[in-house]
Amino acid sequence: MTDPVLQPRLRYGEFLSAVRVKQRRVSYRDVHADAGKWSRARSLRLVDVHRLLTPYVSVRFLEQLRAVVPLALFLALFQIAALRADVREGELIAFGMLAVMLGLMLFMDGVKYGLMPFAESIGFNLPNRAAPAVVLGFAFLLGGIATFAEPAIGALRAAGGGVDPLRAPWLHLLLTRYPDRLVLAVGIGVGLAVVVGMLRFFFAWRMKTLVIATLLPCLALTTYAGLDPRLAPIIGLAWDCGAITTGPVTVPLVLALGIGVAAAAGQEDNPLAGFGIVTLASLFPAFAVILVGIGLVGEMPDPAALPSIVGAGGTAAWWDETPAAELVAALRAIVPLILLLWLVQRFLVGAAVKQRNIIAYGVVVAVLGMALFNLGLSVGLVPLGNQAGATVPAAFSAVGGGDALYPYPLGIGLTLVFAATLGYGATVAEPALNAMGTTVENLTDGAFPKRLLIQAVAVGVALGIALGVAKIVFAWSILPLLLGGYTLALVATAWSSEEYVALAWDSAGVTTGPVTVPLVLALGLGLGQAVGVAEGFGILAMASLGPIVSVLLVGFWIRRRAEVAARGES
Amino acid sequence: MKQRDEIVVLTDAVLITCIVQRGVADTVVDAATDAGAQGATIFYARGMGVRQKHLGVLGITVNAEKEVIYIVVPADHADHIFERVYVAAKLDTPGMGMIYMSPLDKMATYVPPEIAARFGHHG
Repeated sequence: MTDPVLQPRLRYGEFLSAVRVKQRRVSYRDVHADAGKWSRARSLRLVDVHRLLTPYVSVRFLEQLRAVVPLALFLALFQIAALRADVREGELIAFGMLAVMLGLMLFMDGVKYGLMPFAESIGFNLPNRAAPAVVLGFAFLLGGIATFAEPAIGALRAAGGGVDPLRAPWLHLLLTRYPDRLVLAVGIGVGLAVVVGMLRFFFAWRMKTLVIATLLPCLALTTYAGLDPRLAPIIGLAWDCGAITTGPVTVPLVLALGIGVAAAAGQEDNPLAGFGIVTLASLFPAFAVILVGIGLVGEMPDPAALPSIVGAGGTAAWWDETPAAELVAALRAIVPLILLLWLVQRFLVGAAVKQRNIIAYGVVVAVLGMALFNLGLSVGLVPLGNQAGATVPAAFSAVGGGDALYPYPLGIGLTLVFAATLGYGATVAEPALNAMGTTVENLTDGAFPKRLLIQAVAVGVALGIALGVAKIVFAWSILPLLLGGYTLALVATAWSSEEYVALAWDSAGVTTGPVTVPLVLALGLGLGQAVGVAEGFGILAMASLGPIVSVLLVGFWIRRRAEVAARGES
Repeated sequence: MKQRDEIVVLTDAVLITCIVQRGVADTVVDAATDAGAQGATIFYARGMGVRQKHLGVLGITVNAEKEVIYIVVPADHADHIFERVYVAAKLDTPGMGMIYMSPLDKMATYVPPEIAARFGHHG
């Protein structure tokens, strides 16, 4: 060792730090003092905007891409490969699909930032500050008005053209001349459903009782309507409406309110709080629509005598409408909802709204998204579904001059397999179902695994859609199908335990998203026209009946397996 | 069993704390381990502040759910790791988060006996 005094020591790490890192030291105290003087947002560099926006947008866009593209591709490829027909106006449809994806992306974000803050604040505060009657009144209005903002409801308005005015005159009348009355009936139905769902919290009604008590009058009214030849064509539409209503606007809004009310009614943070309302929201509208039908038949005994309105059908010229028309429709759907939420927040809850610019952004984006979605609906989703429906009969019958592509049994089989695959694929891809599966797995302590639930629901939907398509192809009456299916569901409900009842009935509402509904609706109408039946409704009704039955049956199987296991142990 | 009368305490350690949006922690930990850190601890947290004040409507693109990453590193490597994480997490963009470094008085953890022996510790 030499003398340390002569050798100054420098640690290698310190040397590296000094060489490698270029840091400028600035006192935070100075920066802080300076920062106070900034009044507004600083201008961002372009790269900052890119870094902020790109991941944000791409995640949301990919989500929609995954929901839309596989379905659309499946329809298009089936048409090309199995039916040997070109997709007409492919560019326009592709453009429409893009509009649907962009529109849904914007709309969902708009709902999240523009509507949900209100709904959460109101759901949390209103039950404590207002009388129960006021809460129920608000719930009714919310359910009804939210229905108008539901993207899939636009599909109903666009569907009128596919109905034969001679064989189903009142149905045609309802869809073309009084679509507002139809939507109003659905809205009232959903509103009532929300009210009854809330009352369930106050009085702790059992789901089972509620389902049976609601279903019996619905079935009775359906039977009454089904036996009247003038009303029979409306049944399919009526039960389809139930599937349309429970979409991405109504469900979260109503859930937010439901959780607040459940907490106020003394039930602790119950994960099952949301269950039930969705079920009722698919039964009540059916009831309401049939009532409207009965009223219409009473009011206009002879629809053929009415002078025809210009552009009857109202659907021949979807793409003639300017974007302005879509924008107005979107404004009409969303503004009342915002207004209701804002008024209640302002005057009943009495709390100021925080972050106005974010909420304003949400509202603007929701309106834009809705307009884009409606545009995409009319040039993309509806024509694609319509075309697929219209070309499918070529598989088994001589439509449009040429011979059938396949021998009759094979063609029919192919059609049904196509329908089932469509339903299965669309259901498995549904994000809401995935979320529900997780909840259910947790609630049942793993007895009902998520995969089993998704499979059960998907198989139910697949069978339901196949049955619905068969109904149109063979021109069956929908009454026996509905009665038979719901009677089976009713019996299974009476035997089943409470949690499986809630689960099964709600799974019906979860499966029908804003992409599937218009597609399937248009498919049915196109198919109905091509086969030459009076109306092509009912596929959605069957698609929501299917999972109810299948989930209830799987519930039985799980219980039985548990019993056998328990017996084996003892 | 003989009670240990001695604990190996490490000095010259620095704590790097990095706060980023939910989902970015993996990038941060990867950058840190690449630069020589041995491990990291991640917390979930919620942030408030800059998002609303300085970004305006663009604030919605910033997730209020955060991840907080603790990385303990030797003082010599600290600046290097600090810089690498800063770049990897793109912390020069508003709303992306922050990083800070604080000296640790001492830390203790498992030190392999053969290494400890080299420093005169016999357990």
